[in-house]
Amino acid sequence: MSSSAAKFKHVSEYGIRQLVDAFYTKVRLDPELAPIFARAIPGDWQPHLTKMYAFWSSVMLTTGRYKGNPVVKHLVVPGIQPHLFERWLALFDETCRELFEDSVSDEFRSKAVRIAESLKLALFYRPDRPWPPESTR
Amino acid sequence: MTFVVTDNCIKCKYMDCVEVCPVDCFYEGENMLVINPDECIDCGVCEPECPAEAIYPDTQPGLESWLKLNAEYAAVWPNITIKRQEPADAKAFDGATGKLEQYFSPNPGQGD
Repeated sequence: MSSSAAKFKHVSEYGIRQLVDAFYTKVRLDPELAPIFARAIPGDWQPHLTKMYAFWSSVMLTTGRYKGNPVVKHLVVPGIQPHLFERWLALFDETCRELFEDSVSDEFRSKAVRIAESLKLALFYRPDRPWPPESTR
Repeated sequence: MTFVVTDNCIKCKYMDCVEVCPVDCFYEGENMLVINPDECIDCGVCEPECPAEAIYPDTQPGLESWLKLNAEYAAVWPNITIKRQEPADAKAFDGATGKLEQYFSPNPGQGD
C-alpha cells in the first residue's frame, strides 16, 4: 500500500494479512527484535505468518480461527526479555497506523498491550521479585 | 491478568465463549465454566460473547474470590473448546442472584 492510498476503516481478513506481512518485514529488519525472531523461526516464515493471520483474526474478528498456546510458545524463545515487548508494541502500533485509520489502530493497540502484558506476567512474574521486572531474567 | 467467569454462568452455561477463545482456556464443570488464569492471554474476546454477561476482567474490583474459584477448578475440570447446547432451563436462571450458594456444583462437566 502506498502512503497516498486510503487507510482501512475496518478490520478485515485482508487488512490483517497486510498488517502481519508488513509488521514482520519490519521485525526482521529491527536490530533488537530480528536476532530473537531469527533464532525462534530459523526457516520458512510462512507458517508463522499464517498462524498470525489466524491469531489476529481470532482476536479482532472473533472468528475462532487460531487455537494455540502462546504462553508455552514464548516460554521457550531464547533471549526473550521484558523490554523487547515494548519494542514489539511500538513497531506493531507504527505498522497499524500506516495501514488503518486511527480508531482501528487504537483497537489493535489496546488488544496488543493487554496480550503483551499478560504474556510478560506469564513469562517473567515471580512472587518474590519486584514487578515490573528488570531486563534480565 | 486474566478474565474470570462469575456467578451468572452457573446453570446457564451457554458456552459461546469457548468457540471464540484463541487459547482454549475454558474448563467445564457440571453447571458452569471457568477460565484458567495461567492460560488466558487477556485478549477479551470472550467477554462480549457471553449471553449471560458473566465474564469480567480481573482488574474489576471485588472479583478475588471468583478468580480463586476459576483457578481452583480449571486445574481439575476438563477442557472445553466446542460449544454444545445450553441447558434447557438456562434462560430461567439467567439473571438469578446468589447462584453460587444455591446451585454451584464442584463436579466436572463432560468436556470435549
